[in-house]
Amino acid sequence: MTGSAGWPGPGRGARTRVMVVDDHPMWRDAVARDLTEAGLDVVATAGDGAEALRRVPAARPDVVVLDLQMPRVGGVEVTRQIVDEHPDVRVLVLSASGAQGDVLEAVKAGATGYLLKSASRDELLAAVARTARGEAVFTPGLAGLVLGEYRRMATAAPTPSGVPAGPRLTERETEVLRLVAKGLGSRQIAERLVISHRTVQNHVQNALNKLQLHNRVELTRYVIERGLDADADADGTHAGGGA
Amino acid sequence: MAGAAVVTRFGDEARLWRAVDVYRGAALAYAVVSFAWVSGRYARPWLGWLVLGLMAGWTALLAARRVPSSTLIAADLAVGAVAVLVTRVADDPARIASGTQTLPTMWSAAPVLGWAVWRGRRAGLAAAAVISLADVAERGFRPSTTTVYNIVVVLLAGSVVGYAVEIFRAGRRSLARAVAVDAASRERERLAADIHDSVLQVLAFVQRRSAELGGETAELGRMAGEQEARLRALVAGGGPAVTAEGAVRGEAGDRDVRDVRAWLSGLSSSAITVSGPAGPVPLPPDQAQALVAATAAALDNVRRHAGPGAHAWILLEDEAAAVVVTVRDDGPGVAPGRLDEAERLGRLGVAASIRGRITAVGGQATVTSVPGQGTEVELRVPRREP
Repeated sequence: MTGSAGWPGPGRGARTRVMVVDDHPMWRDAVARDLTEAGLDVVATAGDGAEALRRVPAARPDVVVLDLQMPRVGGVEVTRQIVDEHPDVRVLVLSASGAQGDVLEAVKAGATGYLLKSASRDELLAAVARTARGEAVFTPGLAGLVLGEYRRMATAAPTPSGVPAGPRLTERETEVLRLVAKGLGSRQIAERLVISHRTVQNHVQNALNKLQLHNRVELTRYVIERGLDADADADGTHAGGGA
Repeated sequence: MAGAAVVTRFGDEARLWRAVDVYRGAALAYAVVSFAWVSGRYARPWLGWLVLGLMAGWTALLAARRVPSSTLIAADLAVGAVAVLVTRVADDPARIASGTQTLPTMWSAAPVLGWAVWRGRRAGLAAAAVISLADVAERGFRPSTTTVYNIVVVLLAGSVVGYAVEIFRAGRRSLARAVAVDAASRERERLAADIHDSVLQVLAFVQRRSAELGGETAELGRMAGEQEARLRALVAGGGPAVTAEGAVRGEAGDRDVRDVRAWLSGLSSSAITVSGPAGPVPLPPDQAQALVAATAAALDNVRRHAGPGAHAWILLEDEAAAVVVTVRDDGPGVAPGRLDEAERLGRLGVAASIRGRITAVGGQATVTSVPGQGTEVELRVPRREP
């Protein structure tokens, strides 16, 4: 149970500031209410991506709880822009959709966690708390997606210069991700691999960081090659997804 | 052939007939010029002119219609044959015997083209046979070289044009089908977006709220959650229920393959978490079926042995050389020695059937258990060389 007592807010000794973005009002209000009752500060809500992007600068949230499927500006693009313009704001993706491709793109764009909408209230609160602390929220679903993405990059043809198409996971990282994907908690994983709980966290974090860094490098290279700057952001193109 | 299909291609049908009309007009002009040249030598020139006049009227009558009626098309063949036969009466018998042209000349091939456009190759050939018969009869059943040459040409025209028209129509039909399939898939996407915005949200909301209320309401919430997961898998285009549509195109080419990921995602529920890559995981149908069936058997095993409150996790991995599915539960697990023993004694009936399915498609199934961390069934199916 994650209560309001001893809430580990990030700096300033203040309550965690959360923004809830979802196009479904009933859902948005329920999530906002749960967060408020748990002692968090819901500083803003938004019903679509464009509104979310407009409100972030003034609301200065620590965590944005974000739905992926929204009209106008979609969740992936919102994630990309928030992470680009406000690196200290963390994005937790909360999606009811089976659109796994979108979840993967959002995570590559910089979201640090992904939770299904069917997750319980306690799971949501725990996830927001971890996101606020800057930790990755690695659900089994996300671990499966990230593993799949590393495998895809490993089997993709190397670039003409002979450089591998993307980063690789170490054996240990693969091992840890597989266990996460099979539903084991970090304590159980630590026990099984005879490593510390902290080390498990680091492996997970590294796997995510490498993927996000690679995505930024790819995006930059794409922009330079095409000689684009503002346009690339506006039309939502991304280099990472293409094979 | 009838009904909507014809209506949608009306423009193209009319264009085919326009081509026949153009031919008929040009052939008429040729027939008039040819006759004017030799009309003096005809036995009854007035009859020749009369027939040409009627031919011109008939040509105009058909040209005035975008697509002629079946009666007109049938009559066209009779008109063509009669025009040929009248030559026998109008022309000088000596000239006929020497193998001169008929009165309508090439104009009599127009009905052959018409029939070919109307009903394809067979009809074209039948019409050609009728015109050929008229040609032979006009000669008093003593065909000259020119007659034989004419017969070959009309038979060829009837079959070639008929064949081309059949190909053209088949092409139009498959295009219409492709358009329909495209429209259907776009409709499906629209529905999926709609369902996401409404039904899925409400179901997820009900599940969430009722879980907090507890008791009987929690059970309702669990059911709502399961329906949400099923519906989500369905609109995502997967689910074991839609095996026929589970076919996807492999990256390597057009081999017939099934997307294992779409199938497995249909299994997800409040008690089962399914994880895997973002893209499809294609396998040949037999391997895909074996993998999915073995996974379902492993889940049955979980329900039976790990207790009612157990949760199961399915992990799908697409390795370069193999596709791996792992099913783990959070039940009490089995002590290492007990597992082998149970299997030796034939008590692990389900495990045996899992293994049987997987080895039948060249794969491997392993069961491992860590006390306190549940039981894991790993199903590994190697990719076949294409």
